[in-house]
Amino acid sequence: MKRRLIAVLVVWSVLSVPLIAAEEAAKLLGDEGDGSRANPIHLIPLFAENDKGEKGERIDPNAEHAMPFSTRWTCGECHSYGTISRGWHFNAVGGNAPAGRPGEPWLYFNSKLGVQLPLSYRAWPGMHRPEQVGLTPPEFTKIFGRHMPGGGPGEVTPTDIEEIARQYISGKLEVDCLACHNAHPGQDQGSPTGYAIQVTKMNFRWAAAASSEFADVTGSVADAGPTYDPFDPDAEEPKAPRVTYDKRAFDAKGNVLMQIVREAPKQRCYFCHSDLYCVEDGEKPEKWRADEDVHMAAGLTCVDCHRNGLGHNIVRGYDGEAADSVNPLATATSCRGCHLGDENGTRATGGRLGAPVPKHKGIPAVHFERLTCTACHSGPWPGDEPVLAKTSRAHRLGTINVNKEVRVLPHILAPVFARQAVTDANSSPKIGPHKLVWPAYWGTLDDKAAVVPVALATVTKVVGAVLKDVAIPATGDWSELKEEQVAQALKALDGAGQKKPVYVTGGMLYELNDDGTVAGRQNHPAAEPYMWPIAHNVRPAAQSLGVGKCTVCHSTNSPFFFGKVAVDSPIVSVSKLTRTQYEFQQVPYGRTWAFAMSFVFRPWFKVIAIGSVAVIAIVLLLYGLKALGAIARVLAEQE
Amino acid sequence: MFETVSIFAFLATIVGIAIHWVATPAEGSRCVIRGWVHVLSLLLIEQKSSLLGVLKKLVYLLAVVCFLVLAITGFYPVLVQGKHITGFGMMIHATFAPIFALCMAILAITWAGGNRFTAEDCPWMSRLLRRVTRLHVAADDRPCRCSLVLYKAAFWFLLFLSLPLILSIVISMFHLLGTDWQHTTLAMHRWVGMVFVIVAIIHTYLAIRLRMAGAI
Repeated sequence: MKRRLIAVLVVWSVLSVPLIAAEEAAKLLGDEGDGSRANPIHLIPLFAENDKGEKGERIDPNAEHAMPFSTRWTCGECHSYGTISRGWHFNAVGGNAPAGRPGEPWLYFNSKLGVQLPLSYRAWPGMHRPEQVGLTPPEFTKIFGRHMPGGGPGEVTPTDIEEIARQYISGKLEVDCLACHNAHPGQDQGSPTGYAIQVTKMNFRWAAAASSEFADVTGSVADAGPTYDPFDPDAEEPKAPRVTYDKRAFDAKGNVLMQIVREAPKQRCYFCHSDLYCVEDGEKPEKWRADEDVHMAAGLTCVDCHRNGLGHNIVRGYDGEAADSVNPLATATSCRGCHLGDENGTRATGGRLGAPVPKHKGIPAVHFERLTCTACHSGPWPGDEPVLAKTSRAHRLGTINVNKEVRVLPHILAPVFARQAVTDANSSPKIGPHKLVWPAYWGTLDDKAAVVPVALATVTKVVGAVLKDVAIPATGDWSELKEEQVAQALKALDGAGQKKPVYVTGGMLYELNDDGTVAGRQNHPAAEPYMWPIAHNVRPAAQSLGVGKCTVCHSTNSPFFFGKVAVDSPIVSVSKLTRTQYEFQQVPYGRTWAFAMSFVFRPWFKVIAIGSVAVIAIVLLLYGLKALGAIARVLAEQE
Repeated sequence: MFETVSIFAFLATIVGIAIHWVATPAEGSRCVIRGWVHVLSLLLIEQKSSLLGVLKKLVYLLAVVCFLVLAITGFYPVLVQGKHITGFGMMIHATFAPIFALCMAILAITWAGGNRFTAEDCPWMSRLLRRVTRLHVAADDRPCRCSLVLYKAAFWFLLFLSLPLILSIVISMFHLLGTDWQHTTLAMHRWVGMVFVIVAIIHTYLAIRLRMAGAI
C-alpha cells in the first residue's frame, strides 16, 4: 500500500512538472509585447459570461435579450486575466500581497452617527478590515466599488447563501480594463448611467459595459426581485438591468473597434486619484485655481513613472518599495531613481525621462537623510494649519450629486508633516507630508483593552435610535454631539449586548463610568489618527520649501514644525483641541524651538565668522609679506 | 575612515607628547607640582599685565574654553557615539563657533608680533642658507631652539587652518554650493578640524614647556 502510494506520488510529480511548465508557457497573444511602441488595434468580438461563470456567447447587438460583455472573457481572450487580476489595484483582498507603505484608505462615514472610519483590506497600521465592521465583500463593493477598477472584493465569492443568490443576479465586478485603458472620450465612469452608479445599483455584471461608449444600461439589480434570473431570456422584470448596444459600433463581422491604449491616459487615472485642497479659507475650492503636478505640466503622464507589466504590479514610487514589490523598476522609478539615479551604480541612470538632476544649493545634506523628497516638493504649501482636502475616493469626486461644500465629510487634513511608517529595515523613518484622518467609531474594549469596532449595522440600529433627533447639517459636516448623547448611545450599546462599549473620536476614547457618565481619555492607540503620505501634486523646484530662506521651516512660528493640526470630532469640546506638527514628527519641543530660535542669530554668525576670517587672512598676508620683505632685504644686501 | 584616522591621530599625538616629555626634559625643574603651576600660569592673569596684556589673556582663556567646547561637541558624537553632531550638541557647537572665530581674529592681531620668526630662532637655517647659497648670511653656532620654532610655527599654522575651518562651514550656509560640494565642505570641516585640534594640543604643550623654561 505504502509503495503504491509512493509510486503514485512520483508519477504525479513527474507528470505535473511539464503540465505546470506548459501552463506558465501558455502566454496569450497580448501577454508579451513584440517591442513595437505603436498602439495595437483592438477590433475584437465581445463575449458575455454564461450562468456557470464560463465564457458565454458572442455579443450580438441585434439580440433582443443582449447580455453585457464580460472583460474576463473578452479581454481575457488575448490577455491573461488571472495574472492581471493579481495586480496592485486588485490584490488587496487576498492578503498575500505585501501591504507596503500605508496608502489612502476607504473612508466610511456617517455624520449623524458620528462615524468616520478608515477601512482597507491591506494590513496597514491603524487600519480596520471591512469584515471587522460587518461589511462583506459585496457590500463593501457596493459602497466603494464606484472608484475601483473592479476585481478584488468585487470578485470574491461569498459564503452566505443569500449573498450567493444575490451574486448570481448581480454578477461579479470583474476587472474593468476599460476603466484605465479606454482612450475614448466617451468612457463613462461617473455620469448618471456610468460605471459608478451601476456599481451602486449592484449592477456589477453590467458596470463595464455601461462605462463603454457603445453600450447603454438601464434598470437596477437592487430594484429587481430576488427571483430574477438575468440569464433567462423570458424573465419579465421591468426594473432589471438591460443593456442596449450601439449597433453602429459593430462592423459587419460583429467586431467592435475599441480605443484601447497600453499606457493609461492621465484622465483615466484622475477619476480615482484626483484631490482638491481647500486652501482658500472659507471658500469652496475650485480646481481651475490649482496647478497640476509639475510632471504633468512637463508632459509626462502618470504611467511614465507608475509602470507595470502584465502582472499589473504597478510601481507606487516610494523609497524602499523594492522590498515590497516584484516590479523590477520599483527602485528606478521613484523620485531618486529618475532625478539622481543609482549614485553608487556602475553606469549613470539619473536624469531619466528628462528629469533634471537637482543641485539643492545651500541645503545641508542632513536634510536628505531626514526628509523625504516630498517634504519640500509635494502637496499644498503649508499654512498655519493644515487645510481640508478632498479626494476622489473619499468624496466621490467625479460622480453625480457630490456635495461640494468645504466642510463635507470625511474630513481629511493636509499637509501634516509626520514621520513616515517604515516598511522595511533598509529604510530610515523620514519626515514627509501626509494626509490625516481622525477615526471616529463605536466599539468595544476586549480583554487586552484593544478596541474592536461594532458592526455598522448594529451602530445604525442602536446608536441611530438614540441619535435620531440629531440634525444633519446641509454642508455635510458633522452633526454636533454632546457628551451626554455619547453616554446615552454607549448605554444603548451596552444594553444591546455590546460589552464595555466605547466611542473613539478626535484622539479620545470615551467610555462609561460607573455613575453612567462618560469619561474621555487620550493616547489610546485605537484613537490615533491614520496618516498616509502625500506624493502629488509635486510643486516646481522654485516653489519648494526652503527655497531662498531657511526660516521657511526653521523659525519659531513655521508651519512645518509649529503649525496647529486641528483635532476633528463631532463632539464640540474635542474639536476645539489641536496638536502641533512637531508631535507627529516625534521630535521634542524644546530642542525644535531652540534650533528654530538659533536661526535668528545665524546672520550674525555669518558676519562674525566672515569678519574673523578676513582679519586672520589680513594678518597672515601682512606677516607673509613682511617675511618676504625680510628675505628680499637679505638678498639685496648681498648684492 | 574619518573615525579611525581621528582616533589614531589623537592617540599618536598624545603618545608622542608623552614620549617627548620623558625623552627631552624641559629646561628647569621637572617637579610635577611646579609643572602644574606653570600650566595654571598660562591661564592666570599676571598682576603686572597691562590692559592689553589682560585683554590678550582673557581672549586666550575664552578661546581655550571655546576650543574645548567645540572639540568635545564636534568629536564626541562622531568618535564615541558613531553619529553626526545633532540636536543640542550642534546648537552648542554653532553658538561657540563664532565666539571662537572672533577670539582667533583678536589673537591673530595681538599675538602675531610676538610670534614672528627671527634669525635667532633658527641658527641652523642661517647656516644652511649660507652653505647652500654661499651668501654672507649671519649665523652663529648656538643650538637651535626647536620648541620655540615649533611653537611659533604651530601658531601660524593654527591661523592658517582657521581659514578653511571657518570658511568651509560658513560658505555652506549660503545658497552657493550644491549637495556634492556640501558633502565636500563638511568633510573639509571635519578633517581640518582634526588637524586643528592636534596642532592646538601641540601648541599648548610647547607653550607649557617654554613657560617652564622661561622662554616666553
